[in-house]
Amino acid sequence: MSEQPKRKRGLGNIFGTAKEVMYGMASHDMSRHALRTRASMEHLFILITMGDLLGVPILPPYYSLRLMPYVVPQISTWKRRMLRERDITDSLG
Amino acid sequence: MGNTLVVIVIAVLAIFIGYNFYAKRIDREVIKANPKRATPAKMYMDGVDFMPTSRNVLYGYHFKSIAAAGPIVGAITAAGLWGWFPSLVWLTVGVMFMGWASDYSAIVVSVRNDGNSLSAIAHKLIAPRTRQILLIFIFFYLLLVAGAFGNLVAGVLNNPIVPLGIIALAGLGLLTGQLLYRAKMDLIVVTLIAVGGTLLAVLLNAGLFGNGVVDAFTSFNKWLNSFAPGGVTTVLDPTAAVGKQNIVVTVSFVFWLLAMFAFCYAGAVLPIWRYAQPVNYIGFWITGLTIVVAGAGAFLAFFVHPSVATFKLPAFTTFLSTAAVQKSGAFQPLYPMLFVTIACGAISGWHALIGSVSTARQIENEEDMLPVGGGAMFSEFTLGLLALMAVAVAAANPRLTATGKFAAGIGNFLNVFGLPTKYGTAIGFAAFVVIVITVTQLLFRIMRVTLAEWLGDRAPIFRNIHFSTLLGMAATFLLVISGTWVYIWQLFGASNQLMASLSLLVVMVWLVATRRNATYAAIPGVFMYVTTTLAALVTAYNLYATVFSKSVGKAGKEIAVFGSGVTILIALLIVVAAIFIAYDGIRALQRYRKKPLEVAPEPVTA
Repeated sequence: MSEQPKRKRGLGNIFGTAKEVMYGMASHDMSRHALRTRASMEHLFILITMGDLLGVPILPPYYSLRLMPYVVPQISTWKRRMLRERDITDSLG
Repeated sequence: MGNTLVVIVIAVLAIFIGYNFYAKRIDREVIKANPKRATPAKMYMDGVDFMPTSRNVLYGYHFKSIAAAGPIVGAITAAGLWGWFPSLVWLTVGVMFMGWASDYSAIVVSVRNDGNSLSAIAHKLIAPRTRQILLIFIFFYLLLVAGAFGNLVAGVLNNPIVPLGIIALAGLGLLTGQLLYRAKMDLIVVTLIAVGGTLLAVLLNAGLFGNGVVDAFTSFNKWLNSFAPGGVTTVLDPTAAVGKQNIVVTVSFVFWLLAMFAFCYAGAVLPIWRYAQPVNYIGFWITGLTIVVAGAGAFLAFFVHPSVATFKLPAFTTFLSTAAVQKSGAFQPLYPMLFVTIACGAISGWHALIGSVSTARQIENEEDMLPVGGGAMFSEFTLGLLALMAVAVAAANPRLTATGKFAAGIGNFLNVFGLPTKYGTAIGFAAFVVIVITVTQLLFRIMRVTLAEWLGDRAPIFRNIHFSTLLGMAATFLLVISGTWVYIWQLFGASNQLMASLSLLVVMVWLVATRRNATYAAIPGVFMYVTTTLAALVTAYNLYATVFSKSVGKAGKEIAVFGSGVTILIALLIVVAAIFIAYDGIRALQRYRKKPLEVAPEPVTA
């Protein structure tokens, strides 16, 4: 993990805290939904390109191989999200 | 005699003592929050659901997620039934010893169990069927919330000084989505346009440039009601004055109920960025500004306008039922009904659900769990107190409904800053509808997902977003036009509080399984379990005694019989589900007492 940025002191700290709280209330869920949408698209992309891994040969292996370097950084996250057990309550988050 | 300053002082003391002397102690000595232990947000970081987030951001996010109509409506309803003092006591004691514990513990359990949801943890720690029962329970819980909230929104929109602001909110919500995500306009400019436009519409409806808009809505409602002067049906309101307890469900009420469904339909089926999110965003500013300014007004009123700050509502009415309630044949004793009428401001199961599936997966450091979970709950408590103060200072006019009293109270508090009361009241109404309707649209979205998950494999039509949304709305519609509002609200409160006690049960099992002292979760969990089960049974009895038995076999009362019958069944189903879960929970407790859970070595960050 990267180093935490140093906290400001006094009024700057109060202002920074208020700004973060305000962001959390107003926009954090919007950012999360945007990220979630992007993640869904990326997963779809990985499924199309690397479907062979799941036994779904959508692209010929030649192209999968060409695209492999672009997909590799996402695979561990993709695997974790795909394998994670979910239920209805997960849709509340 | 009570006044706003007394309540504010009590709130400050309760938060200070509860947080510093009790919550922090539990965090330190029982949970042993360890900043070096790796949280799921770090271990499973995927940049989406699992993402380490600053505690300040997360506090704001968690508070926004849990703050809805619950603390507002519960406080104003209970104050009308039993007086403001019992409501104040329950809000204060509830949050100090139970509310924070429930919210915080749900996050703790999730963080210590790989970020799993409460139902997944119940599946693992208690029994597989517990999860299934919990999911059924959640669906009916959502239905009751939608019914209770739908009734409130339709009732307020039926007031001709309210609708324009909400219509503007819908239109500007769509525009905001377009400007932000398609036109890529600056967030501050879009915010100014959307929030300014909505506030302008609210004030226009309140008569900023004459009464043209109010007159137009009044005429429209009259025209609608001329189609059925006797109304569509009648429902009982045991809280109304004797002789006025048969409330007519008018055509205009049904129209505004359908209008609310149209609003929520868009929120449930459109892409979330296009409508639901922008509406929530605008709503946040409307309600946030109103709450902050009204809160400051409530504090200053004591010094500037002492007459405004003085409570007009009786401090205490009766331990049993008021004369009007007794006349209706209902039974509304302070215990257990107060504890379900005021739900979210004191303790809430909804918070535990949200906390476990969303907030817990973003906790960066274990020391953030208390300020985020406990801190947000203490903040929600202040929202309940604001509602209580608003209704207590504005009770002079007995013709006002509970929501009307709340809006009038907000109007009085805003008047401290010089805003004329009629505009302040209109803003109070608008803020109330906004906070309720933004949650309701998401409820229908969740109900749609729930139906698709449940029944989609057996009947593919449930995977159709329009069908499943409309089905949820049809069920809610029936509940609203056939049910007695206060009973639906109390049943929602019972299921909500029962959910809190069930989440505390999961926490308790985990504490015992990991050899920790479970007392802080066990006492509120057992208290809420017994109280809410009793309350659900009392509500089922009230429905039977005042609606079902008096309507069955009578011509023209078919809707009331059907509605009350279904609601009684839901009440009993909730109780049965709770009994099964408690039975499995006790067995799990016995199991873990004999053989605690084998815990893997703690994952520790550098």
